[in-house]
Amino acid sequence: MNASIFFQGGTLVLHSSENIEHVPAPFQLVKGRWRSEAYHYHEVLPWIRERDIRNAVPRWPRLALELHDTREPHAYQIQSLDAWKQAGGRGSIVLPTGAGKTLVATHAIRHVNSSTVVLVPTTSLVYQWYALLTNVFQTEIGVYYSGEKRVLPLTVTTYHSAGDLIAEYGNTFKLLICDEVHHLPAKTWGEAALMAPAPFRLGLTATYPEEHEQTGERWRLDDLIGPIVYTQRLETLLGVQLAEYRTQRVRVDLTEEERARYEAAHATYLGFVRERGLQRTHGAGWLRELMRLSAVDQDARRAWLARRQILHLLDSCQGKFAALEALLHEHTGKRILVFTESNEVAYKISLQYLVPVISHETKVAERKHILDAFQNGQYSVVITSKALNEGVDVPEAKVAIVLGGGASKREYLQRLGRILRKKEPLEALLVEVLVRNTIEEGKVRRRYVARENG
Amino acid sequence: MLTSELIKPRLRIHGSTLRVEMVNEHDPFLQQTAQDLICLFQRYKGQSHAAWETAMRAYEGTRLDYVFIRGLAKVLADSATFTPLTTPLSPSMLRERTFAYGPVFEKPDMLHPATRQEVLQEIAYEPGLSIAEHDEMLYADRHASYRLADAGPAWTPVELLARYNLELARGALYWASHITIEVANNYKDLWKFIKLFKLMFLAQPMQGGGYRIDLDGPISPFVTSTLRYGRQLAAFFPVLLLCERWQMHAYVRPPHARRETMYRLDHTCSLRSHFKSSGVFDSRLEEDFASEFEQKVGGKRGHWQLTRESEVLLLGDTVMVPDFVLADTEDEQRRILIELVGFWHPNYLRRKVEKVRAANCAHLLLLVYQGLNVTEEDFQDTASQVIFFQKKPVLKEVMKTVEAMAERVYGPRKKPARRGKK
Repeated sequence: MNASIFFQGGTLVLHSSENIEHVPAPFQLVKGRWRSEAYHYHEVLPWIRERDIRNAVPRWPRLALELHDTREPHAYQIQSLDAWKQAGGRGSIVLPTGAGKTLVATHAIRHVNSSTVVLVPTTSLVYQWYALLTNVFQTEIGVYYSGEKRVLPLTVTTYHSAGDLIAEYGNTFKLLICDEVHHLPAKTWGEAALMAPAPFRLGLTATYPEEHEQTGERWRLDDLIGPIVYTQRLETLLGVQLAEYRTQRVRVDLTEEERARYEAAHATYLGFVRERGLQRTHGAGWLRELMRLSAVDQDARRAWLARRQILHLLDSCQGKFAALEALLHEHTGKRILVFTESNEVAYKISLQYLVPVISHETKVAERKHILDAFQNGQYSVVITSKALNEGVDVPEAKVAIVLGGGASKREYLQRLGRILRKKEPLEALLVEVLVRNTIEEGKVRRRYVARENG
Repeated sequence: MLTSELIKPRLRIHGSTLRVEMVNEHDPFLQQTAQDLICLFQRYKGQSHAAWETAMRAYEGTRLDYVFIRGLAKVLADSATFTPLTTPLSPSMLRERTFAYGPVFEKPDMLHPATRQEVLQEIAYEPGLSIAEHDEMLYADRHASYRLADAGPAWTPVELLARYNLELARGALYWASHITIEVANNYKDLWKFIKLFKLMFLAQPMQGGGYRIDLDGPISPFVTSTLRYGRQLAAFFPVLLLCERWQMHAYVRPPHARRETMYRLDHTCSLRSHFKSSGVFDSRLEEDFASEFEQKVGGKRGHWQLTRESEVLLLGDTVMVPDFVLADTEDEQRRILIELVGFWHPNYLRRKVEKVRAANCAHLLLLVYQGLNVTEEDFQDTASQVIFFQKKPVLKEVMKTVEAMAERVYGPRKKPARRGKK
């Protein structure tokens, strides 16, 4: 029987290879078979052809993709794409944040014109790429992450889920795109790129890791994706307009009954933390320690539950709903984004006011529909829990209402950034609803101080 | 399977040894907890997943053993069925219609003349819904709204605790990079599941019978510490419990461990599998053949002893487990393997023939159903012997061939010893 090579679970396997002499280096004899990581496909292809080995690896279809994109690429985007093509369709393009990496990617997909998988760090970015590719290619786009699994010639996945996708379908993609490619050296994040045979590879990032950062795991970024083919520095692109914004705080009170519950829970919680001196003994890790103790110590368990009760109470107290209702009235007709701390409250508001919610449960198609409808004015209010936190393009809102009190500094700045990303120089407003005389006020104070100082 | 949060707190590391803290199935207090949860779960039939979660948390209260309680609850929920409400209109379509009216308020004002109530009456009118039904339907496709349709098996507290223990043991394997098992029977099930879970193996016969099998995945040799296959290994684990004698050692690196640990188990553990063994006989044909053999030539009547699936033919990265082994009771070296090729799908048959060819095995006898779309030509370059049959294999002919094969492969049979070896 003639020798052949096939793809299996992220590896290339030689079949009937008894008569082949000098199997090249990437292959290792494993459990009686010559096997190699699939990313060596590109490298061993000439050898496969020379030895006339039947090649059963590629299962990538040719596509007839058309760009339905009215945006003209900037000169630097065209240059970067040309550099990538010149490098044989392998390597990374380094562009500053906001410089249109995705546009470059869509042109690369159009150039290869074959099935493509896009790896991104978060599910939020899955949604974003899904919406972008749907619009640009006017075709069905697959997604593969914990919430939804649908594999199509153009599929977007998270680094977390990519391993499973590639193990199963690795040889159905000719082009591999790694968004935020600097994550690749991290443990397990590079495995999918290692397991994919895709001969065309594109890495995108604003911050390419230094040589010594590349070798964190068992692979080098340059080996997995190819070298940097193009770099554009930030300085040359400055001049992006930032909208003006102002912030407003709305303070609400707990009802008498809520106040009583709050004080009781607060006493239990804080009493324990102080009594044990957790913050002193465990520093920043004190909360984790409390959680650990709550499985062995009855008082710790009570304190932990009291803390949860407090957060729940602050998130869903009557005053916040009243304030929200007043704000919705006040800003009628404007595009409003409402942020909540929990899913539960987000869905409660949705049902109460008949406005759409986007949570991590919202599937890609519906999410796109909601954001499109928000953009074109059909929906004026969108509720979201934590689903829109990570650098996601959202149609610019005029008003952002933050109901959740637990926002860390990072989240807060991201939320601000959301309404700042504006095309028209309109004044945006961020409203924070806080419960008076509770731990929420303390959080805001701490954040404020941190911002003043840093 | 349990989530990793429900496993981690029950792992104990001593040096390089990993132990899983299981529960005592006969502890009356734990049994009471199991009983309470079983009853509670039954009561939530027809109610939503969210309602069950709330009830479960309320039961948990301030108890410290909440990891155990949630574990039992997870086992209950996993073997039950939650289904979405059937709705005249898909919830996502309903949402699209409804949200076109938002935001709405309880009281009308100049900019929002229609109240929530009025708007909903309009929306719900056409599909013939009440407002309450509308509100229930709006997010009926969220998992939290799914209804408990079938509460699963009728657990006894002991069964539930036993199953919880099994789930803890397999959960430890989530962080396994590879496992080694030693088994002496039940190969068919083993291989069926090794394939099903897309694992890769290396099997070596052991002295004294049985096989030592290394299990990991295709990419493992290149990224040796990968935990990519942990889930598959955990899924596979209950198959091992179907074997009579077995032992396993797993290389496990739990998130809080500083280095790799070893997790050992063997057949003396009290775990019981919930997988069903594929049974003594796969098919009628095999069963008939075995019983006819016992009747006519088995036992004291001849010198051949028939056993099932006690041998494995290793073929590269796959295996063949012949249906029967005929061993000469007076000379155990003399063994003929028999494979019945019955009423198979052509594709399956083609693979089987390929396997036989690859096996290059002179002491393999194939009994092939003539109705199949194969001829002797198909087996031409195989080292194995083939007998075609029409309705069922003719035992006499089979035994004649077996004798001839044995003579050809092992040489003439020695004179029957006057005193048996054993």
